[in-house]
This record gives sequence, structure tokens and C-alpha cells, in this order.
Amino acid sequence: MRTDWLIALPILIPLLACALSAALWGRARAQRVVTFVAAAALLLASAALVAATLEHGVIASQMGDWPAPFGITLVSDLLAAAMVAITALMYAATAVYAQAEDVERREAEGWHPLLAALVFGVCGAFLTGDLFNLYVWFEVMLIAAFGMLVLGGGREQLDAGVKYAVLNLLATTVFLIGVGMLYGLTGTLNLADLARRVPEVGNDGAVGAVAFLLLAGFGAKAAVFPLFFWLPAAYHTAAAPVAAIFAAMLTKVGVYAIIRVFSLVFVGSSEWIPWVLGGVAAATMVTGVLGAAAHWDIRRILSFHIISQIGYMLVGIAIATPLALAGAVLYIVHHIVVKANLFLVAGAMRRTGGSFALAHLGGLWRRDPWLGILFAVPALSLAGLPPLSGFWGKLVVIQSGLEGGAAWLAAVALAVSLLTLYSMLKIWMEAFWKEPPAGEAPPDLGGTTRLLMLGPVVALALVTLTIGLWTEPFAALALAAGEQLAGREAYIAAVLGGGAP
Amino acid sequence: MTLALIALIPLLGACLPPLTTRSSRTVTAWAAAAPTLLALLILAAQAPAVFGGEVVRTSAEWVPRIGLSFSFMLDGLGLFFAGLILGIGLLIIAYARHYLGRRDPIGRFYAYLLLFQGAMVGIVLSDNILLLVVFWELTSLSSFLLIGYWNHLPEGRQGARMALVVTGGGGLALLAGMLLLGQAAGSHELSEILARGEEVRASPLYMPALLLVLLGAFTKSAQFPFHFWLPHAMAAPTPVSAYLHSATMVKAGVFLLARLWPALAGTDAWFVLVSLTGLATMLVGAWIALFKDDLKAILAYSTVSHLGMMTMLLGFNTGIAVIAAVFHILNHATFKAALFMSAGIVDHETHTRDIRKLGGLYWLMPVTGTLALIAGASMAGVPLLNGFLSKEMMLDAAAEATLAGNGWVVATLATLAALLSVAYSARFVFGTFFGRPRTAFEHPPHEPPPGLWLPVAVLVVPVVAIGLLPGPLAGPIVEMTAAAVAGPAGLPPVKLTLWHGITPALVMSVAAFAGAALLLLLIHHVERARLRLWRPEAKAMFDATVAAAVAGARRLSGGLHTGSLPRDLGVIVLAILAVGLAGFLGATHAPGAREVQPTGIPALAAWVILVAACAGLAVAHRNRLLTLILTSVVGLIVSLAFLQFSAPDLAMTQISVEVVTTILLLLALNLLPKTTPAEPGTARKLRDGAIAAAAGLGAAALAFAAMTRDFETISTYHIEQSKPGGGGTNVVNVILVDFRGFDTFGEIIVLGIAALAIHALLATALRGAAARRLDAMRMGEVSGDAHPLMLVVATRVLLPLALTLAAYIFLRGHNQPGGGFIAGLIAAIALIMQYMASGHAWAAARARLQPLTMIGAGVLIAGLTGMGSWAFGRPFLTSTFGYFHLPIAGEVELASAMAFDLGVFLTVVGAVVLALSHIARVEQRAERSGHAPEDAALPPGPPTAAPRIGLRTPAYGRED
Repeated sequence: MRTDWLIALPILIPLLACALSAALWGRARAQRVVTFVAAAALLLASAALVAATLEHGVIASQMGDWPAPFGITLVSDLLAAAMVAITALMYAATAVYAQAEDVERREAEGWHPLLAALVFGVCGAFLTGDLFNLYVWFEVMLIAAFGMLVLGGGREQLDAGVKYAVLNLLATTVFLIGVGMLYGLTGTLNLADLARRVPEVGNDGAVGAVAFLLLAGFGAKAAVFPLFFWLPAAYHTAAAPVAAIFAAMLTKVGVYAIIRVFSLVFVGSSEWIPWVLGGVAAATMVTGVLGAAAHWDIRRILSFHIISQIGYMLVGIAIATPLALAGAVLYIVHHIVVKANLFLVAGAMRRTGGSFALAHLGGLWRRDPWLGILFAVPALSLAGLPPLSGFWGKLVVIQSGLEGGAAWLAAVALAVSLLTLYSMLKIWMEAFWKEPPAGEAPPDLGGTTRLLMLGPVVALALVTLTIGLWTEPFAALALAAGEQLAGREAYIAAVLGGGAP
Repeated sequence: MTLALIALIPLLGACLPPLTTRSSRTVTAWAAAAPTLLALLILAAQAPAVFGGEVVRTSAEWVPRIGLSFSFMLDGLGLFFAGLILGIGLLIIAYARHYLGRRDPIGRFYAYLLLFQGAMVGIVLSDNILLLVVFWELTSLSSFLLIGYWNHLPEGRQGARMALVVTGGGGLALLAGMLLLGQAAGSHELSEILARGEEVRASPLYMPALLLVLLGAFTKSAQFPFHFWLPHAMAAPTPVSAYLHSATMVKAGVFLLARLWPALAGTDAWFVLVSLTGLATMLVGAWIALFKDDLKAILAYSTVSHLGMMTMLLGFNTGIAVIAAVFHILNHATFKAALFMSAGIVDHETHTRDIRKLGGLYWLMPVTGTLALIAGASMAGVPLLNGFLSKEMMLDAAAEATLAGNGWVVATLATLAALLSVAYSARFVFGTFFGRPRTAFEHPPHEPPPGLWLPVAVLVVPVVAIGLLPGPLAGPIVEMTAAAVAGPAGLPPVKLTLWHGITPALVMSVAAFAGAALLLLLIHHVERARLRLWRPEAKAMFDATVAAAVAGARRLSGGLHTGSLPRDLGVIVLAILAVGLAGFLGATHAPGAREVQPTGIPALAAWVILVAACAGLAVAHRNRLLTLILTSVVGLIVSLAFLQFSAPDLAMTQISVEVVTTILLLLALNLLPKTTPAEPGTARKLRDGAIAAAAGLGAAALAFAAMTRDFETISTYHIEQSKPGGGGTNVVNVILVDFRGFDTFGEIIVLGIAALAIHALLATALRGAAARRLDAMRMGEVSGDAHPLMLVVATRVLLPLALTLAAYIFLRGHNQPGGGFIAGLIAAIALIMQYMASGHAWAAARARLQPLTMIGAGVLIAGLTGMGSWAFGRPFLTSTFGYFHLPIAGEVELASAMAFDLGVFLTVVGAVVLALSHIARVEQRAERSGHAPEDAALPPGPPTAAPRIGLRTPAYGRED
């Protein structure tokens, strides 16, 4: 298939799904078919994209056939392709899981088009090679996420939705100011072109300030310290499938943008970049994990762990050697799968035990050992225990820290991983080991609900185990992606050197 | 791959026992024993080669890119440990079959046990340090499951967590240490590292690597001050204590010290750190053991003490001490596991482990009593038993050690530890089995079934046999193992004999026995004195540390996440300001060369109005209507600015957007309180104002820095290519639908989704609590005529005109100001007017197209147009255009971008109408109920803010 199609398809498939399911409003059965077909198609398309990117290296497609940098370019390198593939996986998992519980009401309020729109925005953000276009995708995600957050909304969801929207709008505004300024300094928006022109600006102070404006805009999306307030305000109110796809994708798009822009455009633009990134990484890891320690509600605990683990990814970006970037890539891929899965399992735990509050849970290990195992796989992976996926990400990040002269970051990362383990133990001991509280427990998960809920969970757990045990191809991919990111030339050549036919 | 199988068979075999739980417990036990036996047989098959001095190796790739291979090696040390692990494992499996109660899920127990066994074998056979860490963490995890096996007991849960946190934390240190070690040696393969000991010790990374590795080893082997977790792990069922916490897992740390001995030992740092930690542990453990009343606690602290002894020996940096350490590992494993199992039998038969309640059991269960007596004597170091021999060798080595030039310190302290060891052993055995019974048992305890005491007997046999014939029985094993530990350094000849003559060690040993007798005589006085001393309680300290950490986390987290939006915004803006400033000041800034343009009067006036409107907003923000009006002033000024800079398209768009949003917001305001809640505190306002002003100044300064410089821009190309490439003379429109059509494409989705989000948001407003609030709301007085006839007539006349205008604007868009977006807004405004003038129901009844369908169709048209270019082998959204001659209209240009623009048009109209109709529905609900008489009793709702723009269905709405 032509690379032009391959790059555009991951954006167009969810788009068509969104438009069709909006047009099929009120016809839930048809909407479901659209969503499932789209998820399957996206999985295939993203697999093809990964294959093509592995085969040809960085590939690009010029939208509207206008030569770069005058139009908008879509670019797929290994990182982008991998992210799209993992997004497809999340789309499928969430779509299936959402059928298990409360589905009619959610569908009546627009679940299918909103989910597709979110995926559309996420894929667009991963594939775009244009800074302003990235802003557009951020907007798509923001509005779709807002809609999903207030689905079926009570007072709590609305409060969360407002905070989410206001704080994220501030972030996107800062991002937009940054884009404007950068255009004012360089006269271009194409990332590859920016990479060439930024060093020639000759106004390093302004470039440095713009770099940090963009960092702040992306960082707020990624929920880094001290810009993360929206995340703990919002995630714990969302339904399990919504929280799962949010936890998987939203912050990671911010991290992706930081990687993309800071490995491509602002390389060496300011001496402060590694320090700010490193400091933010450490503070993010620590504050996140401490926030988790302070809470006794599964969803809140999990939300704070997202923040904490964003810090790990930033460590990789701060060190910025090919190995460190590879570590960040590996960590992101692992984290998306694991974090989404934990939220999905948490939903199943609530269904079985009747609550998200640890105080009201107990005895699940005796009641449903499979649920326990399915919780343990992502939980231990999150804590970085071998031989699960999280161990490898952590290992590479720490190794790059020790080799890249940032031993202190490695030390913080290790300490935080111990606290993460502690936090997962807390959930395990309270929800699974402790005697169940008095009172009648909800009925066991059974029949179709069990299948719909635990099916995606099993699938994602298998991915975690696969990455854990059959690590080599993933490590190879991550290292190749790290090389590509640190190398830059392949990307710039693919975009500006007539990459499109 | 045979070696790997020794570790993998138990790991995979862990699945077997849970599968057999429907059969008898004996079958389950066999399901666990079979993999163990198989692994043991494979190991035995390799043994001759290892005894012959060979090192068996096998290797496969796992993740070569990060230096992790699946490589194993079997040398003397590995064989020794693997044999211990599997052999004792087999006995434990048999013992646990009879020990566990009927209600305990035995399948899970064996699964955990095999998991542990495989991981432990993995540690001792790994030839790759990262692989070793992998197995190391697995042992921590499986031991967590085993300690917490009785998870209905809080002690079980807490003991398990403490063990995992301490050993898991140590594991992380070990991981870092191993990475540094690998870096220092240039390889992750253990055999390479061991061969490059000189290099490692000379490396600057030696010290950090050593410290981290030791941290891992010490936590695992419960060395002081990390010893506290081990006694709490005794909440586990006794087979677990016997297996993990005496014979195997806690020896992993000791194993690691032995394994890395050739690479890390031999330095002063090693001697000081390792031997002193071991010495301290030996003393502390023995001292505490003496005063414990719980049988398992006595054994636990005694284990701590013995582990300290092994550590100390390995720290001495001498070959003779290594031999002693290896010999003691073997002996300790036999007598301590036997003692644990005996304690388990006592517990099983009497239901207590409190030594104060026991006594005289020897006469009730002579077999168990005899076995425990022998094992206890070995622990005390009574001659003719194996414990005596290794203790003598330890004392020998201690007598030779000098600390800071002093040859007496270590020897004296070691003797003291031996003394304490004799004392607690005696107390354990005599307190339990001899003397008078201290409890009247309801059912007198009796000898357990052979399944329980046989495994003990099997362990007691070597205790006696090695004690009598050390040379022939243990000599080859110890020699082989110690040689493997020492590595290239070599060893003095191994001589294991019963009688060495009158050596200093013998004297020390005799002194220890005499001292212990004295101590036991005075035990009550000593105890009283001890109780007056400060005794740090490790669990309390651990719990307090955890509690303090959690409380600190809660304070920090509570301080960070107050849930106050203004504060969050303030923090964020300040942070952005700080990094922006850092970026700006972190580099040199060259001022721009471009000339500053003169300020014209119109520009100045606009600027003043803009600033005034913003200032007014800040002051009057509590009045929502005023806020809205001032916001639209800002919008209008912005559109004027667009006009000024020759962007009429943008100006038109901006104005239309202003109109639509203002109307929608006015409708929404109708349902909201007139003012926002007051915010307290002038200081806070000043602070927030200062932050806002600083951020604004920062942005302005940056804009100034950017705008005072010339730059080359891509828009030059856009202007040049607009007509020849894009087929339109209106470059703004060509940019929107062609050059950057992909952006527009994304933006229309944003609009469509926004409409869906409004839908999702307001769908809930008609249900539940929100609906009740609506019902309770009393709308303000409505003007007499909600739908003035003049307005109705005017809007209906305007409708076709407005739609024509929209079509015109749409069509000319490519060459003159206009386009689908603006046209859509104009059409939407025309439709809104109908809704306003004639009421929602009237208009909705006449709407042919559902807004959602319009949105979907618009997006589909835009998307399909873009994909159409694929048919011509071009990338997405490639446009084409041509000129056609139409009758009447004449020459007409049609561009494929226009189809795209049509999609934009439909989406815009659909989105606006959808938003409008939803707000209208909510209002209708409020109005209908607001006038319902039954609501009169409810508290009055907020007064309406906006002038009434009635969307109420008029009574005459259906007349025309």
C-alpha cells in the first residue's frame, strides 16, 4: 500500500468512525458495529504502518501535496508508529470493556463518536510533523476528553470536567502563544524545518523562552510537576473505561510532544533544558508517588501513579542519549498498556467488591483469584518487578541515568519504584487479602459481563507479559526509535528531502 | 539448556499443584514434589562433572541489547546451594502436607513454594548479574505470598509487606549496584566479572557498586540494622519459616557475598563493612533470641545471629574463613530447618509456641524431643555434632582477625556471641521439652504422625554424621564449594577434623559454655536489667516511619491539591513564568533591528479600548452579563485588528463567531445566577493580579522580541502559489482550505465534538438532581410579548436573504473574503434568529435536517473529498480545480476544495444549531416548571440575568 495512505489511515479511520456514529445517533447497535470495525481496522492499519516504518525508516506524507514546509506534513518514525499501534490497542480494549457496564446510558449520550474523536486526536498528534497542526490535535483531544468526562455526569463529573477544561485550556493557550512566537522568530511551523531554522535565529534568549513555553504547554498536558493539578481533579470521577483510555493516552501525548519537540527542534537551545527537565522529572516522580501514598481510593491511587511515572519518561528525555530516549520509549509503551489495564481491573474490582474505596473492599483473593492474578500482573509491572514490562523500562532508564552522568535521577527513580511497590501492596492487602467488610457483597462477576470486562484485561495482561518475557524485539524497536530520535537527520530528510513521491 | 531447566521446572511446575486441588492433598503434595525431584535429578546428573572441577555453562540470548542473557553456570558454589534448596525443599513439601490444616488452600501453598524454589535456584545458577537480579526479585515476591499465606491474620499481611518492602528495596539497590558493577567490569556475565576482580576493585565505581550490592545482600540476609523484618516474617506457616527463613532465602545474601567474593573482596572497605556488620548482627541477634518467649521468634533471631556469623566470616578476606563460612552454611541449614520443623510440631500439637506455657514435652513426644535435642545441641555447638565443628572454625578465624591493630576485639565479641548462642539453645530445648509441664492441656499432646517428624529425622542424620565424620562426609563438598567461592585466589588445604588439639578456639568454646551456664543461672537478674535498658522495637519504628511518611505524603498532597482552581492557575502561571524567564535569561538576547512603526490614532484608540475592556473585565467580573459584553468588546477589537492587517476573512469570521457565542452565552446566562460568588481577601486579589500582570508583561516582552526582528516566512510561498497552485486569489481562504486544509479539517471536528459535548453535558441537565433544580427555578418576569410580531416577520423575511448571502459568501470564498466557515456561521445566525423570534418548538418542527446528521455528513464530505485524491495517486486532501462554462453564470471555477468547504459549512451549521437547541430545551424545562403552581412553596430561584430572549413556545406558535 502507498505510504501516503498508510500514514493518513490511522487518522481517517477514527474520523470516519466518529462521523458515522454521530450520524447514526440513537442507533446503538449500528454504532457498536462502527466502533468495533474501526478499532479492528485501526489495529490493522497501525500494524501496517509499523511494518512500513521498520522497512523504509522515517516516512512522510505531504497533505494536499504541497511541498514541505509550506503545507502540513504527516510523519511516521518508529516512535510515532509504535504510539499509533498502542493507541489502536487501547481503542479496541476500551471499546469492548465499555460494553460490560452501564452501556446504554453512555451510548445514548454519545460514547461512540466521542471515543472515536479522542482516538482521532491522539493519532493525529502522534503523526503530525507540524507544530500548529499539533495544536489542532490537542484541541480535538481536549474537547473530546471533556465530553467523555461529563458523560452521564453528576455534580462530581461536572466539577472535574470544568477543572479539566479550564486548566487544559490554559495549557493549550500557552502552547499556542509559544507556536505564535516561534513562527514570529523562524517564519515556519514545520517541525523538520524548525529544526533547521531554530539554531539560525540568533536570538537565543527568545528561543529559550519559547522552548520553555512549549515545554510548559506540553508539560501541563503530560501532568508534570507543578502543572498536574487537572489530573487528580478529574480522573477519579470518570467511569472505568473512560479513565482507562485517559490514563493510557492523554498524558502520553504530552510526553510525546515533549520528546518530539525537544529531541528535534530545541536541541541545545538552552543550557537550562536538561536541568529543568531533570528537576521536573524528579519532582514529578516524587510528588506523584507521595500523592498515591496519601490516598485510599483505588482510582485516586492509580491517578497519582500516572503522574509519578510521567517522571520516569522525563528522565529519559532529560538525559537525551539514544539509550535514554529508548528507555523513555519503552517506558511509555509499557506504561500505556499497564495503566489502562489497572483502571480496567479497578472497574472489575468495584463491580465485584462494590466500591473503589479500599476500606470497603476485602477478601477478593479468596473470592476471585483470577481477578487477583489479573490485578497482580499490571500492578507488579507498574512497580517494575521482573520479568514484567515495567522492569525493562525502568532498567533502561536507570542504566542510562548511571551512564549518562545523572546518577541522582537514577537514585530517585529507584526510590520511587519502591514506593510504587508499597502502594500496589496497599491495594493488594486491602482489597484482596483483608477480610471482607461486613454486609452483603455484590454478586460475583459472571457470564457476559465477566467476558466483556476481563477479556480486554487478559489481552492487555498478555501484552505486558509478552513485553516482559519476549523483550528483545521491543527493546530493539525502542533502541532503534531512540537512535532515530537522537539522530534527527532521518526525520529531517524524510520531511524536507522530498520524502513524498 | 539442562541447567536452565533446573530453575525452570519448579517455576513452570508451580502451575501443577493448583490444578490438582480436587484430588486428595497427598496428590497435590506429589504434584509439588515431582518437579522438585525432577530438578534434583537433573542437578545430580551434573554433579560428577562439577566435583571433577568442571564449570558447566549454558547460555541463550534474552535481551542482548541491554546486556541480559539467559545464561547459567554450575560450579561448586551453585551446586552446593542448589542441592540444599532442592533437597530441603523436598522435605518441606512432605512436611507441609501434614502440617497445613484442612481449610488451608494447599494448592496455592505449593504453587508459591515452587515459584520460590525455582527463583532461588535461578539466583544460585545465574551466570548473568541482571538475570540474578530478576530471580532475586522473584524470591522477594514469592516470599511475600508465602509469608502472607494466612492472609486473614493481620500479622501475616503486615509481616509479608514488611519483608517485601525491605528485601524489595534492597533488590533495587542491588539492581543499581549490579549495573555499576557491570559498567566497572565491562560485562554483565558473572564469570567475566569474577575473572576481572582486579579491574573492578581499581575502578572508581567500586565503592558505590560495593555499597549498593551490600545493601541488597544485607537486607535479604537480615543483617543488622535490617534484621527486623525476619522475625515478623515468622507469621508464615512453619514450613515456610523452616524453608525460606532459615535454610534458603535468607542465605541468598550470604550467597551473593560468596558469589562476588573474587570480584569485591580483598579490600579494607570490604573487611570493615562486611565483617563488622556480620559481627554486630551476630551479637544483636543472639542477645535478642535469649529473651524471646515465642519458639519461632527464638529461632528467628538465632537465624539472624547465624547469618551474621557467615557474613562476618566472608568479610575476613581469608581462605580459612571462607571454608568456615561454607561449612557453617551447610550445618546451619540442617540443624536450623530441623529445629523450625520441631517448633512447628510443638505448635501443631499443643497450639502454642509460648515457651512460658510449655515444658516437659519430652515425655509426651519422645521422638520429636530427641530430634530437637540433637539439633539444638548442634546449634549450641556441642561437640560431636556438626554445629560444633563450624563454630570452632569460626572462632579460629575470629582469633586471627585484627581490627584496627587490635587482635582481641573480634575474638572476644565472637566468643560472647557463642556464649549467647549456647544460652538460647539451652533455653529453647530445656524450656520446651524438660522441666515440669506448665499448662494442663485439655487433650494431652502426643507424638505427631511420621509425615511430620520424618523430615526432621532426615535432617538430623547429617547433623550427627557430619559431626562424627566431617572429613569424609562433608570434606569434598566444602572443598569444592569453598574453592568456587575463592575463585582464582585459591585456598589453603581444607582439613575438617574432629580434634584439632588444644587451640585458642577450643579455649574460647569452653569459655562460652561456662559463661552460658553462669548466664542461665543469673537469667532473671539479667532480664530485669535488660528491661531497664532502652530497647528499640524495630516493628514499631518501621511502622512509625511508614506512618510518618504517609502523614507527610498526605500533608504534602493535601497542600498541593487543594481543589481550588484559582490557586492551581496561579501556581501554573508562576511556574511557566519562572521557566520562561530562565530560558530567556539563560542565553544572550540580541535586540531586533527592525524599525518600530509609528502609532496611529486609530490603533491607539483600539488599544485603549482593548485595555479598558480587559481592566473592566477584571473589576466587574462578578456581574456575568457585564462580563459577557466586555468580552465581546475584546472580540470586536480583535476583528478590527484583523481588518487593519488586511485579513478581512478573519475579521468576518471573528465577528460571526462573536455573534453566535454571545447569543448562546446569553441563553445560558438565563439559567445561571446573575453574579458569581464573591472572592475573599484583598491580599489574594492583589497577589493574583500581580501574577497575571507579570505573565502578561512576559508575553508582551516576548512578542516584542519576536516582532522587532525580520524573518523569512513560508507565507511568501503561500501568496505566490495561491492562484497558480491553489486556484484562488484569496490567499487566506486558500490557506484555510488548501495549504493548511488539514488544520481546518481538525478544527471542524473540534466544533462538531463540542456540539456533542454540549449534548452530553445538557442531557444530564434534564435528569435527576439537575432537573429538580431546574424545576425549582423561577424565571424572572418575562416581557409581555415573548415573540413580538415585528421580530417574527422580520426574521422570516431575512431568512432567505441570509441564506442567499451565505451561499454567496460560500461560493466566492476562494477568491474573495468568505468561505465555508463564515458562510456556515451566517446561515447559523439566520437559523438562530428563527428560533429566537418564533420559539424553539416552531423552528424545530420545521427543521428538515437533524443537526447531528449535518455534523456527521459535513465531516464525512470533508473526509471523503480528501480521500478522493488517493484515487489519483496523490496524498490526502490534494486539491484540483478547473474552469467550466455554465449557461447564464458564465465562466465558473470549481475547485475540489469547495467540496471540502461544503463539509466545513455543514459542520458549522450543525454544531451551532445543536448547541442552540440543547440550551433551548433546558430553558423550556425551566420555564414550564417555573410557572407551575406547585413550585410556589420552593425557595425562589436566582433572578435572571439577561434580558429575556424568549425561547418559550408561544401560544400562537402554531398559527401560521
